[in-house]
Amino acid sequence: MALVEARQLTKVFRRPDKDPGMRGAVKHLFVRRFVDKTAVDHVDLSIDAGEAVAYVGPNGAGKSTTVKLLSGILQPTSGEVRIDGLSPQKDRIAVSHRIGVLFGQRTQLWWDLPVSESLAVLRDVYGIDHGTYRRRMARFEEVLELGEVLPVLGRKLSLGQRMRADLAAALLHAPPVVYLDEPTIGLDLAVKDRVRQFFRTVRDEGTTVMLTSHDLGDIEGFCRRLVIIDEGRIIFDGDLEAVKDAFARERILNVQTETVVPLEAARAALPGAAIEAGETPLHLGVRFDRFTMTAGHVVSALAPLANLVDFNVDEPSIEDVIRRVYSGELVLQP
Amino acid sequence: MRTIRLYVRLLGAHLRSLLEYESDFWIMMVGTVIMQVVNVVFLAAIFAKVPHINGWSFWAVVAMFALVAIAEGVGSLFFEGMWNLAWQINQGDLDYMMVRPYPIVLQVSSMQIGVNGISNIVTGGLMLGFAIAHLGIDWTVGRIAGGVIVLLSAIAVKVAINLATNSVSFWMQSPSPLFAFAVHQVGDLARFPLSIYPLALKAALGFALPFAFVSFFPVTFVLDTGDAWVGLLTPVVAAYCLAVAWFIFSRGLRRYESAGN
Ligand SMILES: Nc1ncnc2c1ncn2[C@@H]1O[C@H](COP(=O)(O)OP(=O)(O)OP(=O)(O)O)[C@@H](O)[C@H]1O
Ligand SMILES: [Mg+2]
Repeated sequence: MALVEARQLTKVFRRPDKDPGMRGAVKHLFVRRFVDKTAVDHVDLSIDAGEAVAYVGPNGAGKSTTVKLLSGILQPTSGEVRIDGLSPQKDRIAVSHRIGVLFGQRTQLWWDLPVSESLAVLRDVYGIDHGTYRRRMARFEEVLELGEVLPVLGRKLSLGQRMRADLAAALLHAPPVVYLDEPTIGLDLAVKDRVRQFFRTVRDEGTTVMLTSHDLGDIEGFCRRLVIIDEGRIIFDGDLEAVKDAFARERILNVQTETVVPLEAARAALPGAAIEAGETPLHLGVRFDRFTMTAGHVVSALAPLANLVDFNVDEPSIEDVIRRVYSGELVLQP
Repeated sequence: MRTIRLYVRLLGAHLRSLLEYESDFWIMMVGTVIMQVVNVVFLAAIFAKVPHINGWSFWAVVAMFALVAIAEGVGSLFFEGMWNLAWQINQGDLDYMMVRPYPIVLQVSSMQIGVNGISNIVTGGLMLGFAIAHLGIDWTVGRIAGGVIVLLSAIAVKVAINLATNSVSFWMQSPSPLFAFAVHQVGDLARFPLSIYPLALKAALGFALPFAFVSFFPVTFVLDTGDAWVGLLTPVVAAYCLAVAWFIFSRGLRRYESAGN
């Protein structure tokens, strides 16, 4: 059985449907109306030990809700979760030793304690012996540069300091499974690099990681598996590199011509490629498949129509692929 | 044992930061002492006019005041965090507690120390001491042991009511524990002998919200007057209240929905 397993996992939130303001609130006391919102919709997911999975989707897709269901914070409306064979809702304490959770949007540090004290409290909560604790702290200090952060009170931390301290807090008990929900949100480039580095060391030690992020830089070179969720439903689950190979095969050649080339003329010259208007009538975009056509071919086909002033080639990144999936322009088949 | 040690650890972590605001600390302490003194002066003023309330002497009522103060003091010194439950539910602050290997209810109640609890316990203790000295109780070993058990149970009743009423916040949207505050106010009625109240109020304080077991019945037990045997039920009532409070809390926890961003 997989280490993390979700079967038909569903969460419906019931929100009071109130008119705004005092009148709405009073009215709601007498006429109770609710709207149901299905945040996670029959999700099947199974993650093996040691996998690093990117869990992406547009805002409100249900990513954080999935993480909360997988960690036992929320009760599923239907369906079930197993972590190492245990239900996080029913065997809460046993599962808590096996998972580490980070919500980038909120801290688990005590606001009135220095970071060192928050971590020491967590050490005692998890029952970590002092030797092991010192060893892990030494590693955090090395990779996360935690030393400068330790004496600072929780409420006085900068965002970058807070995130590094929170990462240490989430991983202090060396859990075999880690959920990172937007762990780089709001970080500057230098800190981002540092924490990404840290993720790689965590993964390389064999920790199973599920990572949620809007910054696809976090997942490239880190996750092999990509899961895309939209409106609560998983719309893709497969190999990240395969997606790139399959969909990043498309190239766009942007050309600038000396005289206007009518779109129809360009299309006639280049069957098999898609021609789009550019920013001025003198610009054209040619979208083609790099396996069936080369940039040289496109250029020589256009040359008889007008003098070419300039051209360049866009290589779509995984980011473009996913953006097109979000917008419904691209349908991935796993 | 580990659970208790860890509780002290969690609570104690806040102590140091509390002591950083030394002036706040003393203001709160003095404020609470003044409030208790005003209570006793008020009581003395009543008894200056009438020698007994419903057959209860001044010192017997002082003992009831004292128990309410002690129970409240223990509640705020050790379990103040319960009063933040509504806020934490509203803000989704239980998320991280739910993924830690320690009872959630204890994580909640240890989130804060109410230092004014110290002065409530001290003034309550003094009041109780004076009352006992004046009441001329015939102390036997049995009565001392019973008295201690009844006192601890009385405190447990108060703490359990705090937990139960604050847990109601799981069903509310409000970020402040309005219901628990209201019930807490009702608890002040238990400072006076139950026998002065009309039947409906007696039933309310004896059964529905058994504040009478925080002060009135424990005092009747120690004084061996009236229905002293009812006082002996205090541990049973405490166990019952704790069970109900725990049930409400666990039920509520299942409704917990965290918070969207
Ligand atoms: N506690 C809650 N109560 C009611 N509705 C909620 C709650 N939490 C989330 N939702 C709703 O469920 C849906 C999914 O939210 P969720 O936070 O899981 O999205 P997400 O994918 O994490 O989005 P984002 O990228 O913005 O973090 C949203 O429509 C959100 O409004
Ligand atoms: Mg989210």
